[in-house]
Amino acid sequence: MSFAQILQSLVAGLGYTVLVTLLCAATALVVALAIIAARRLGGKAAGNALDALVYVLRGIPVLVLLFMVFFGLPALGLDIPPLAAMMLSLGAVSGAYLSEIFRGSLQAVSQAEILAAQASGFTPFQSFRLIELPQMIRLSVPGMVNELTSVMKYSPFAYTVGIPEITKQAMALTSTTMQSLQIYTAVGLLYFGLYRAILLAVAYVERHFAIPGFAEE
Amino acid sequence: MALLEVRNLVKTFGTKTVLDGVTFDLEEGQTKVIMGPSGCGKSTLLRCLNRLEEPTSGSVRFDGKEMTAPTADVRALRQLIGFVFQNFALYRHLTVLDNVTLALRQLKKMPAALAEERALHELARMDMAEKRDAYPASLSGGQSQRVAIARALAMEPRVLFFDEPTSALDPVMAREVVTLINRLYLENVTILCVTHDLYLAQYISDSIIFLDQGKVRAEDKAENLLSGHADPVIASFFGRKS
Amino acid sequence: MGGNFPALLVQLQADLPSLISALGETVLLSVIITINGLIGGLLVFYLTLSNSGVVRKIINGYISIFIGTPLIVFLFLLYYGLPTIGIRLSPFVIAVFGFFLNVSAYNARFLVTAYKGLLPTELEAAKAQGFSRGQIFRLVTAPQVLRLAAPALASQAIQNTKDSSIVFLIQYTEFFAGMQEIAMRSFLFFETYFVTALVYLLLVSVIVLAMRRLERRFTIPGLS
Ligand SMILES: Nc1ncnc2c1ncn2[C@@H]1O[C@H](COP(=O)(O)OP(=O)(O)OP(=O)(O)O)[C@@H](O)[C@H]1O
Ligand SMILES: [Mg+2]
Repeated sequence: MSFAQILQSLVAGLGYTVLVTLLCAATALVVALAIIAARRLGGKAAGNALDALVYVLRGIPVLVLLFMVFFGLPALGLDIPPLAAMMLSLGAVSGAYLSEIFRGSLQAVSQAEILAAQASGFTPFQSFRLIELPQMIRLSVPGMVNELTSVMKYSPFAYTVGIPEITKQAMALTSTTMQSLQIYTAVGLLYFGLYRAILLAVAYVERHFAIPGFAEE
Repeated sequence: MALLEVRNLVKTFGTKTVLDGVTFDLEEGQTKVIMGPSGCGKSTLLRCLNRLEEPTSGSVRFDGKEMTAPTADVRALRQLIGFVFQNFALYRHLTVLDNVTLALRQLKKMPAALAEERALHELARMDMAEKRDAYPASLSGGQSQRVAIARALAMEPRVLFFDEPTSALDPVMAREVVTLINRLYLENVTILCVTHDLYLAQYISDSIIFLDQGKVRAEDKAENLLSGHADPVIASFFGRKS
Repeated sequence: MGGNFPALLVQLQADLPSLISALGETVLLSVIITINGLIGGLLVFYLTLSNSGVVRKIINGYISIFIGTPLIVFLFLLYYGLPTIGIRLSPFVIAVFGFFLNVSAYNARFLVTAYKGLLPTELEAAKAQGFSRGQIFRLVTAPQVLRLAAPALASQAIQNTKDSSIVFLIQYTEFFAGMQEIAMRSFLFFETYFVTALVYLLLVSVIVLAMRRLERRFTIPGLS
């Protein structure tokens, strides 16, 4: 099998890799936004509970959590489909990390602006939605990119729950061809290409949404 | 009935009494300046008046409504008070125009086109209309403050609060801003202004409230306070200044 | 819902000696990876400061490749790929080597980021005093950059401990692999993975506490 042929058969898994990455990243975003909003608008008890949740999620290996969700929960009578298992493990863990990134950015939003919003009669939720959130998101772009690429790099775990993404395709190929060296080199290339594509896409989006003089260091 | 009636306002932080029974009135169309030594409670007073800070006791009636009552709709009242800060506090992620229209659209639920029209009107009043699409980071201090004033004016407030509007500006820009505030004064906009800037105080005040250690020590016209006042504390405060 | 934890406890007790040695493997691996990664990271960081454009290009390429590809793929490349050209390495050697290249790249990037936050005047001052390049790196750059990057390096250490769990995928018997076996034998999947997660959480907490101690000891007033 030529290298080109290898690449070609691996590309069959590319769609699933992208799907897993996007679904988990979307889960992370939702989880992180929910955590940060609840922290900002909820009371002290809610804050402590969320701190604990984030700490736990950041302290457990993704793979262990994935196995707990995918192999463990069915034993308790709760069947979780593979993609959902990825979202509940990789997505949730990444959401915890992302919430910490958001938390840092939120602290950088100027108190004066929040006060001004309060003085003009905005509710805390309006101030959060209209002033703090948009700035937080923009300040978090580098961290969000890191998190997205991180999700992409953990996406191969999906093969352990049977999702036919790139790594799974590679395993199938190695069992029939014995060209493991070329195959895994090709796998690495594909992931690296994906990584570069993410960076390019982000640079493109950033150029279009840049605010002059904002978050430039 | 005055527009703003402050009676016996007290504010303590822990054991520290910052406002110690402040009483004064502000009539519709009047402009009063609050002066006094640093730390005497001027900012705290303004912040208590629109409940950014909770007063410890006393009463604040705004347009006949008790602002300190537990049932008071604080946010509705805040919309009637335009607040301009020393550090401008423009929203950095929004253009000049959006800074001014945000509260119109979100709080007054004004249609976008109408809000824009109002905003451009106020920006023009502050000579800032041509900067409508600029972001705050590209503005000078004086320009930022003019946008902040336009933002406050756009809500058609009953009164404007200024907290040291010129003290973050260099002298030239400060003059620009003073000129604009003076224009509002001549238009009979109701203003309550905290400042250390004698130039500003003279140009815009019907009277000056002199605050010292949380108490109103004197309230009088600028010309009576500024030179040779009988009270040695006041005399020395303004003596040092000029 | 619920779960049969008492039954699992019986299993765990029976396998205690082998589980403890598996846990030892995890701890050992994490420590080796972390120390190697710090040394490698510093080395790579030093090379990014090279005068030679070629060296810088190569080093930046290396960092970018390892940050841009999944570690597990590189481990598979070594584990399944090398034998096809006659090189057979033990899973342990592969794990140590693979993590070394990967973690060094990450740590180097943290150090580079910290380096960008240094005041250029400080380095110029050292140059003006007549220090050599090596001396400046050792005496001025490295100590500051390490402190500035400490939070990132610390979270990488935590990451290493958690990531070490993936080496069971190349048949290396560390803690997760040991627990897997118990899960297969007892069919107490949920309970076993739950306890596994708890143990990792405990390990991570130990690191977090240790880092807090170190942080208190090594902070410089006014330098964050
Ligand atoms: N949140 C707070 N907690 C505790 N003390 C406070 C708080 N806010 C203000 N103070 C104290 O109240 C006093 C009055 O503060 P305030 O800011 O009102 O003074 P000011 O007259 O505006 O001074 P300046 O002219 O310097 O702006 C100061 O001693 C200040 O330290
Ligand atoms: Mg003040």
